[in-house]
Amino acid sequence: MRFLPPALADAQRSLSAVPYLEVTLSQRRAGVARAAFQRLYSGGEPAGPHAAALAGDGSLLRARIAGGQLYYQRVPSPGPGAPFASWTPLTSAQQSVALAALGSQVLLAYVAADGSVAVRESQDYGASFGAAVAVLPSAAGARHLALALKGGEALLAYASPSQVAVVRRTGGSWGSLSAWPHSLGSISGLACHYGGDYDLLVTGEEASGRAGVWTVVFGDGYRQASGTWSPLREVQRADAGSGVSFAAPCLSAPDLYRLAFVESYSGSQPYARLQLSHLAPDIDFADNWWREPLPSDITGSYGVAMASAPGVLWLSSTDGVWRADLSAAVLDVSGSVLALEMEEVPWGGRLRLQLVDDAALSGPNGPLQPGAEVAVSLGYLTADGPLASPAPRHWLTAVEVRSEGGRRMATLEAVSAWGLLGAWRARRQFAWAAGERNVFAILSFLWARAGIPFTTVSYSQAAVDLRPAFTVQPGQSGLEAVRRLLAMVPDVVLLSQNYALLKHPLDTETPVYTYGNDHPVLAAVARRSPPVANRVQVYGQGAFAEAFLWEDVDRSGERLLQVHDLNVASAAQAADRALWEARRLRLSLVSEEVTVPTNCAQELYDVVTVTEPSLGLTAARRRVLSIRTSYDARRGLYRQRLGLGAP
Amino acid sequence: MELVKGVVRGFDSASYRATVQLAGSLAVWLEGVPVARNIPAAQVTVGRGCVVLFFDEANPRDAVVLAVYE
Repeated sequence: MRFLPPALADAQRSLSAVPYLEVTLSQRRAGVARAAFQRLYSGGEPAGPHAAALAGDGSLLRARIAGGQLYYQRVPSPGPGAPFASWTPLTSAQQSVALAALGSQVLLAYVAADGSVAVRESQDYGASFGAAVAVLPSAAGARHLALALKGGEALLAYASPSQVAVVRRTGGSWGSLSAWPHSLGSISGLACHYGGDYDLLVTGEEASGRAGVWTVVFGDGYRQASGTWSPLREVQRADAGSGVSFAAPCLSAPDLYRLAFVESYSGSQPYARLQLSHLAPDIDFADNWWREPLPSDITGSYGVAMASAPGVLWLSSTDGVWRADLSAAVLDVSGSVLALEMEEVPWGGRLRLQLVDDAALSGPNGPLQPGAEVAVSLGYLTADGPLASPAPRHWLTAVEVRSEGGRRMATLEAVSAWGLLGAWRARRQFAWAAGERNVFAILSFLWARAGIPFTTVSYSQAAVDLRPAFTVQPGQSGLEAVRRLLAMVPDVVLLSQNYALLKHPLDTETPVYTYGNDHPVLAAVARRSPPVANRVQVYGQGAFAEAFLWEDVDRSGERLLQVHDLNVASAAQAADRALWEARRLRLSLVSEEVTVPTNCAQELYDVVTVTEPSLGLTAARRRVLSIRTSYDARRGLYRQRLGLGAP
Repeated sequence: MELVKGVVRGFDSASYRATVQLAGSLAVWLEGVPVARNIPAAQVTVGRGCVVLFFDEANPRDAVVLAVYE
């Protein structure tokens, strides 16, 4: 159950409390602002290596290489109509250029005409640069460069045809090289950003010809020991011979880590298309859980460079500049709410809202657009003022505006995070070999693909220990994949604000709330229905086990559920699986439904006690299996119907 | 059980397993899919269409290439 302030607890137990709802809308997904890019510049510069950074004074710094010449640009007030076409030739250069900025400090690195790597530094937001310092000899074979700055330290990363190495500058002196311990057949691009460690993004091909986008961390003591390298972690891959390759990666962190790279296809209908992604919220770079890359209509094999400040993200190519506002203003529509229906059920959930509308809300550019995030908090006016508890987030799927008798009303339909997961479909084969990843890690990956952060309130040992052979077929939905995966463990998933949470529902769980005494039960229904099955047979790899719901077998005869899973490889695993399946069958049975004044903090799968003499319940332990919250301002209605089952 | 269309992208006659590009997966292929032993190895050639039967849709090892064609 969510945190319940005492004053709110007192109010919700009172039959005369005044409802208080907070409802806001924003252009976000799981709290992450949508990056809607506006193109500010279209020029005629030739394609080629390029870089960008945003200085501490807001200047947009851009660099590009064309015809063996390095060009530089500083736009102090970037925006519509800014002089993005004005370039200053600096020196001769080839192959690659990189920029990094932190406060007034700016570093510019490039591969010089002789193949060496030079770095120039500015201390005035990129307005002027000192002399070039040769950091790497031509023998290093640098083809791709990336720079990162942290207070008092700089890091230059470079890629030779098949290796990545870094060199740090501390106390004004460049140190010795640290080459990564990995091996790729070829490297097509490199990006770097400092986020507690030096976080790198690499594109290229393995020696086998398999193309990929990988992250790798050069440690600075946050998630990776200082001076050491993490494993290569896959973001995207394409098998050898598929005609798909990756290049031109870039990385930035205006709000959370965002990346882009170019995916090229050389088959029929060839393309070179920018793909954009971001980490799931509150996830570290080292965890590598990225949202499904989103294709962009920005094309070209050199991709874009990213430059950012808090709340704003810039994309730059040699001939284009784009800007996205990431502030995603939150619009409070609490005062316009006429009615609300919110349903929280396993594997689903939806929200229906009726608002008093004005043209500003539902107009073509208004905030009532499909995809907008709806945050609802349920509350009451309390002795401590209005208090509310945040319910799971929803995302608009439909907006209907009705005009009647001169009055406009908007009806909003929205889905929960389960809806976002169901809308995500695998656009390629995802496969994990037995032993490769545990169930929790695969679940995290799948939820992240839909942009939802995944964590736990509790978990079974199986969710950690079981590392199954598992695949998601192309075209399969995330919801289907998660259902299949959860079938292997005794855990369930519930939603809380932006998060999906794993929970191990134990039948010994302590009740967290009481209905029927202080918190009145307004109506109650008892239901008797048989489970879908009452006998479970599990067939594994040479293993077999059974479990029964004997009380139901005796009552209504045998109904069989058979499970075939080659991941079950021992009698003990089969027995566990059979017990979990039987428990799942029990958990799916709603035995009572009670109507109560809204409990603002109630969550799915909580264990509560219920006293309702009409049903013969006295402090009966029950698990909450569904929550349907209704609010109607016109009828003064503010209630919940709770579906209850065995704990 | 599910039948899925694919294209053979590789075959190891020793283990009698194939690498298959399932319909809908442009860039990534499924490795190590068992091939029905009644299909002669010489017939399992790269580029041929194939039919894969998944006994368990979520487990790539619990599948078999039933037929190759074209």
